[in-house]
Amino acid sequence: MSQTESQNIEQATTSVATNQPDAKTRRYDRQLRIWAASGQAALEASRILVVSSSATSTSILKNLVLPGIGHFTILDSTITSPADAGNNFFLNARSSIGKLRAQEAVPLLRELNDAVQGEAILKDVSELLATEQGRDWIGTFSLVIAHNLKKDTLDELSTLLWANPNGPPLIAVRSAGFLAHFHVQYHEHCVSQTHSENAPSLRITRPFPALLEWARSLDLQNMDPTAHGHLPFVVILVRAVDEWRKSHDGNLPKTREEKTEFKRSILAMRLKPDEENFEEAEAQAWRVWSEPAVPSDIQTLFSLPPLATSPHHNATFHALLETLAEFTKDPSGPGTLPISATLPDMKADTKSYVQLQNLYRDAAEVEKNHFKELFAAKHPEIAKSANPEEVDSFVKNAHHLRVLRGKQLGAFDKDRDALVTSLSLQPRETATHLALSALSALLSREADITVDALNAEVQTLLGDGVEFPDELDAAIGEVARAPTADLPNMAAFLGGLVAQEAIKVITEQYVPLNGYCVVDLIDSWTGVIG
Amino acid sequence: MAAAVAVNGTSSSSDWEGRYYHVDQILDRPGPRTDPSFLAGDEVKEFLREKCKILVIGAGGLGCEILANLALSGFKDIHVIDMDTIDISNLNRQFLFRPKDVGNSKAIVAAEFIMNRVPGVKVTPYFGKIQDKDEDYYMQFNLIICGLDSVEARRWINATLVNMVDPENPESLKPLIDGGTEGFKGQARVILPTVTSCYECSLDMLNKPTAFPICTIANTPRLPEHCIEWASVLEWPRVHGEKKMDTDNPEHISWLYEVALARAKEFKIEGVTYSLTQGVVKNIIPAIASTNAIIAASCCNEAFKIATSSAAYLNNYFMLIGTDGVYSYTFEHEKRQDCPVCGGESLDVTISKDWTVERLIEMLVERQDIQVKKPSLSSPGKQIYFQAPPQLEQATRPNLEKKVSELVPDGGEITVTATTLPFNLSLRIKYT
Repeated sequence: MSQTESQNIEQATTSVATNQPDAKTRRYDRQLRIWAASGQAALEASRILVVSSSATSTSILKNLVLPGIGHFTILDSTITSPADAGNNFFLNARSSIGKLRAQEAVPLLRELNDAVQGEAILKDVSELLATEQGRDWIGTFSLVIAHNLKKDTLDELSTLLWANPNGPPLIAVRSAGFLAHFHVQYHEHCVSQTHSENAPSLRITRPFPALLEWARSLDLQNMDPTAHGHLPFVVILVRAVDEWRKSHDGNLPKTREEKTEFKRSILAMRLKPDEENFEEAEAQAWRVWSEPAVPSDIQTLFSLPPLATSPHHNATFHALLETLAEFTKDPSGPGTLPISATLPDMKADTKSYVQLQNLYRDAAEVEKNHFKELFAAKHPEIAKSANPEEVDSFVKNAHHLRVLRGKQLGAFDKDRDALVTSLSLQPRETATHLALSALSALLSREADITVDALNAEVQTLLGDGVEFPDELDAAIGEVARAPTADLPNMAAFLGGLVAQEAIKVITEQYVPLNGYCVVDLIDSWTGVIG
Repeated sequence: MAAAVAVNGTSSSSDWEGRYYHVDQILDRPGPRTDPSFLAGDEVKEFLREKCKILVIGAGGLGCEILANLALSGFKDIHVIDMDTIDISNLNRQFLFRPKDVGNSKAIVAAEFIMNRVPGVKVTPYFGKIQDKDEDYYMQFNLIICGLDSVEARRWINATLVNMVDPENPESLKPLIDGGTEGFKGQARVILPTVTSCYECSLDMLNKPTAFPICTIANTPRLPEHCIEWASVLEWPRVHGEKKMDTDNPEHISWLYEVALARAKEFKIEGVTYSLTQGVVKNIIPAIASTNAIIAASCCNEAFKIATSSAAYLNNYFMLIGTDGVYSYTFEHEKRQDCPVCGGESLDVTISKDWTVERLIEMLVERQDIQVKKPSLSSPGKQIYFQAPPQLEQATRPNLEKKVSELVPDGGEITVTATTLPFNLSLRIKYT
């Protein structure tokens, strides 16, 4: 944020006490509650290249400038047409007509946020793709976004970016009237901060020593009734599991009858019928039924084959992942993922809840340190240079890690079997995708856009012997109706969707799209294929 | 690329040739899924650009986006209502506002911005509450789009529009398009009052507002939120008496933060911060530009389709979750026959014969599909319990202890009213 704007904001509010947030924090308050300071820092360090300044392109940019990316460049040599002046909010209406579109758009985008740098490069992308210097320059951005680019130019761009796994990912968008699709191109994207809403395991069937000790030490029959009525459900369940195992050869309840009996054993521990903490323990008994040492989707990550084109900056993540696999097998460890320090709220008094919280926090600290020792032993170089915050975040989110491996733009369209399968499983999404791919091919040949021409093009993609579903007629007819329409509402809709994906890719938080997202604003749906 | 396209007969003085090149591709011919009643060409353009009058409720995160989309789509007579003024924390997404606008009316600033940027569009702002306006006012619009963050305001406009429907007069049915967002998630829906499910029908789909039991706050705090609630609910009135807490006043928030922090220290609870304090007492919903853009675009797209018949409109609910890839779900939310606003049938409530009036009130307050604070109860010709005025409250207070079954026969009706409830809720009481 510039000096003047900060001052304006300061003047606009009164009485700033010491513990209150600064102007920037106040401006970004609603988004910092989503991606925190680390996500904001990643956004501010990003440089984004947008190819074209169409209504869709400027809509995407608006949603990236507002949250505060570092820099954007619009690459476009187009002269503003009367149509552009009619559908693009970031042009000065009639007075922009005849002027360079990108140059008109940049100041109107920049005024959204003084902290963001932006510039217009008044060239066609194909010009830059033709020189080594131009190609290198494209590779310097954090992310490239292209809207309705000619097919051959887009193919060239995607091939260039795919050839360098350490270069920027590419989001390619195609829209026509009420229909659109976009694709995110990356070799591999790793996330630890997925913000999953699934709670990590509390490890009730594999309690750490201090927790088991507490559960075993309780004299449930003779303890103070108030304390009894405020025992956290976690301790109750650990106790119940311990007793169950003693009388069942070390096994957990498996059959339906056993599960019912287990629940009854919890309620039988009550001193009074209205003890809510025991009711809560009964309601939470499902946690005991299946508590794998390592959840299956994390186990899958342990056996991922190495990827030759994994970007360099994923090296730390992979080293951490290897360490994690070893941690779960290490005989001196818990045999599980590192425990999470965060507890859900539960019926308990302050003392026992805080006590429980401290036990989990201490156990998490012990396991994290053990993890770090393994990390240092296994990957001494990486461990030395790794950002400690990245390591902490990885351990903290060990239950929700994700690794996405992407495809090059267009690879799906070359895989006839995949297209045919997709057409039978997700007919409307695949049909819409095919109609848009056909449009893109026809436009680059400057052919007339007719229903027949689109059908013939789809036929080429699918080959012979494939029956066209009705969905294909619906999609092709709609594309033929409005082949070059960049509708304001579709532009805004894509502006939001693509910006969400860009933010997820840049911040490495939440989980971005893998494949194509297809949009139909007639029946108002989106779907993912490829 | 648009130079050859002429605007046929619908040009007003501010239009230029080719202005609607993109939108006209849709309006000049039907698509395979377009209803046969669609009249492609001049007539539909004239209606959209010369006659259609649309109301936007809310000029905030969704409202700014909605106004821009409508203006570019060709709506030229737009009205906007918002009672709020601009705050710094709006600037990360409410893109019609700049730092110099802080403190000014959202509706007025937004309207001026749109009229400057999109010539020929008239935006009429109203800086005030939706409740200030009567049925005659709402009757003048063809369509209403709602971009609000308040459940109470939405219930009010929903109930108002349902009540306005006169079966003899098709013009009295005003389609209501409603959007809402939270973080990477959002929803858009089309409500045809009395025809489709209404806002009230789906009240139970809302996330339950996090309410902490008073005894937890007072006696067994565990979370930082419990300490903050203690400071705002119990300590503020105890220390400041009648002085009202203003959650927009940084000094008040600072006071709450200090008090909550001290209590957290006493109980060894971690995590009380200024930001969390503000979040809890103001019930802040995280918000970003991109999600608002998606939902506002969906709302405006439905408005455009309804106004032009160029394509079928949403039936009737679109939900988007952007946290893990792009996930969305489009479905028909069903009308509730016992919806207190559009259902016509009274709500069946089965209770024990032993329940007191007080217990019934507690149950009503807790129910997610009713969401009422401080309800007053009456049965035909009888006052059961009234929250206000004080004399009436005092006179009916003894009834709180009485059993409902002493006052209302099996199958009898109770009418529930409340200041937060924009309609009378009628219950049919049955005893177990």
